[in-house]
Amino acid sequence: MADIGRRSFVKGASLGALAFTVGGAEVVMAAGEARARGVPFRLLDAHQGETLEALGETLVPTAREAGIAHFIDQQLSVPPHESLLQARIFNFRPPFAEFYRTAITAVDAASQKLYARDFAQLTPTEQREFVDRMRQNKIEGWTGRPPGALVYAVLRADAVDVVYGTMEGYEALGIPYMPHIPPEKRW
Amino acid sequence: MTNEKVDVVIVGAGASGSVYASVLAKAGKKVVLLESGPDWELTDLISSEIWGRRIKPAGAPILLDGKNPMTYSAQGGWGVGGAALHYFANFPRLLPTDFRIRSEHNRAHDWPISYADVAPFYDKVAREIGVSGDARAEEKWRPAGEAYPMPPMKTFKNGDIWLKGFEASGIPMVPAPVGMNSVEFKGRPACLYDGWCHVGCPIGALANPQVTYLGDARKAGAEVRAWSTVTRVLTNPAGTKVTGVEYYDDKHQKQIQEASVVVLAAWSAQNPRLLLNSATDKHTKGLGNASGMVGHYMMSHHVASTWAMFDEDTQNHMGTIAVQYMSYERYPKTSHAGAFGSSFITAGFAMKTTDLANSRADLFGPELADYMKRAARRLAGIKAFGEEQPNLENRVELISEKDEFGMPLGKLTHSYDQDAVALWNANFEEGLKVAKAAGAKEAWSGRGSMPTSHLMGGTIMGTSAADSVVNSFGQSHEIPNLWVAGPSIFATAGASNPTFTIFALSQRGAERMASQWGTLTN
Repeated sequence: MADIGRRSFVKGASLGALAFTVGGAEVVMAAGEARARGVPFRLLDAHQGETLEALGETLVPTAREAGIAHFIDQQLSVPPHESLLQARIFNFRPPFAEFYRTAITAVDAASQKLYARDFAQLTPTEQREFVDRMRQNKIEGWTGRPPGALVYAVLRADAVDVVYGTMEGYEALGIPYMPHIPPEKRW
Repeated sequence: MTNEKVDVVIVGAGASGSVYASVLAKAGKKVVLLESGPDWELTDLISSEIWGRRIKPAGAPILLDGKNPMTYSAQGGWGVGGAALHYFANFPRLLPTDFRIRSEHNRAHDWPISYADVAPFYDKVAREIGVSGDARAEEKWRPAGEAYPMPPMKTFKNGDIWLKGFEASGIPMVPAPVGMNSVEFKGRPACLYDGWCHVGCPIGALANPQVTYLGDARKAGAEVRAWSTVTRVLTNPAGTKVTGVEYYDDKHQKQIQEASVVVLAAWSAQNPRLLLNSATDKHTKGLGNASGMVGHYMMSHHVASTWAMFDEDTQNHMGTIAVQYMSYERYPKTSHAGAFGSSFITAGFAMKTTDLANSRADLFGPELADYMKRAARRLAGIKAFGEEQPNLENRVELISEKDEFGMPLGKLTHSYDQDAVALWNANFEEGLKVAKAAGAKEAWSGRGSMPTSHLMGGTIMGTSAADSVVNSFGQSHEIPNLWVAGPSIFATAGASNPTFTIFALSQRGAERMASQWGTLTN
């Protein structure tokens, strides 16, 4: 590699890590660490968090441990123009929490019709079958918007973010990260 | 609050606005740029796809409608530098045929100018901000011009691996011209080829406005006011001149900025929104809208991506987001039987993990995890950008719902016609043939929703107010001191990435404004 030294010629980024609330104080940490430390959600309730983790894990293995629900929750709590969520790139209209609430409601409603249980209570095999049908907009009785394929696309993108979008994710795939300005806390 | 009158107020500090600011400030004019988003600096450009979303569109949304909604957020900009803060910096130019489709094919419309009118400005922009490439190699398809100031960029296996396939398919590939530094240029360093261009290049190797025109404009005295959202263009009582703009500042306070000339450089969807929202009793359909064309002829490029896995290491983490190779071989409008429009073929680009995942959007779970491991070293792609013909029904219009400043939201309706769909399909078919000939182990078309890339039109140029909004310089046919800049003035879309043409047309327009200044302010 040519001239590695110049990679770090611009320093000073201070916006790398996410701020979580622990014991009333803001603590900067990665989403996976927030999950491991049991940081309470800011906006999601326990069921919504559990459902997002189940969906994320089905879409991208290790997304649960990587803190997908904490990542989404923390990002929903910041102003939309500061949001890092893929919902922004998918042209959703703020507040982005509306997308996640309606998506979780639609997923559970369809899961109840198909299996008489919420999505988070399904077996891994059932969750996989459900997501595959959702991906193809092939769940009968899916109600409301957004359509299943769009829920799949956005949540899959979120899960890809927390699993593969980090410096650890690159390392796991053997891809050199090569940052000019590295994100703090290895984001 | 009314601010001191200036010579020029420019709405939008992106690619086109920064050119106007530079040219006019250097000509001694007092210039103010109003930008709705933050004032980004190079130190804000963190190398992360996640954090890179901070420089993508925010604020009042453009609502999307139509059969092929024009999804703009991945490409759009927000804040100083606009989309050019994170653009791919592919710098192909339009070709002579783009300027005369009506004359040659009895389709769409001719531009009021020819390639020869724009060519000197392509060369001037290249000298000004730096372009790397091989002009002589391109000249098999276009008239001769100046050599680029820098040699072509380095290539990597993810580009080189396709050459055999293109050759077998009769498609010559040449080094792609890019707005990036292959060597040090004007004090800006050479590229490091680590592929973070799309979240903003903090070293200045990529020619973003901050390190080129906007930097020059600031040095010449232009003032940039971030967090300033313009809601209306103001006119005199007779409706014969614009007098300035109304905007809301960073404290959400209403301000008036008076100016001798107003330049709208707020991107293809926002320029029409502003003109439509500036209607008066003298301009009941919106400013500059006697033709009824404001907001119409919105255009996009469709993209046919072909992906392939190879046995060899494709080094797909190396390079730039700009492409390494290009070809105009399928640029003639009737290159593909049964389809109409130009195609611009490209190969070789760096990928990040999001790109790997998106290349097989159908995979999830353990299959995705397995695919990611394989794709990390074996994946490569080619892309064919395709032209969409201008369609009156593809449009921006105001709706009753309003933003936080009380300005009606814009709704963008867009659908591709059958020509575009046929061309997209033809490009996919050819892509798979190229991949097979290149020796790919497996290859597939990146289908799904038909993509919309680049946003153009909405205030198109033409010869009169009867059929267009502005003249070839971007000057309103109806109000001489009202100008529009950027891709919204394109009369047709071509298939080339638009920013080099945006820079060239803006340079041409700004120089014209400076030379005709007396006629604008009398």
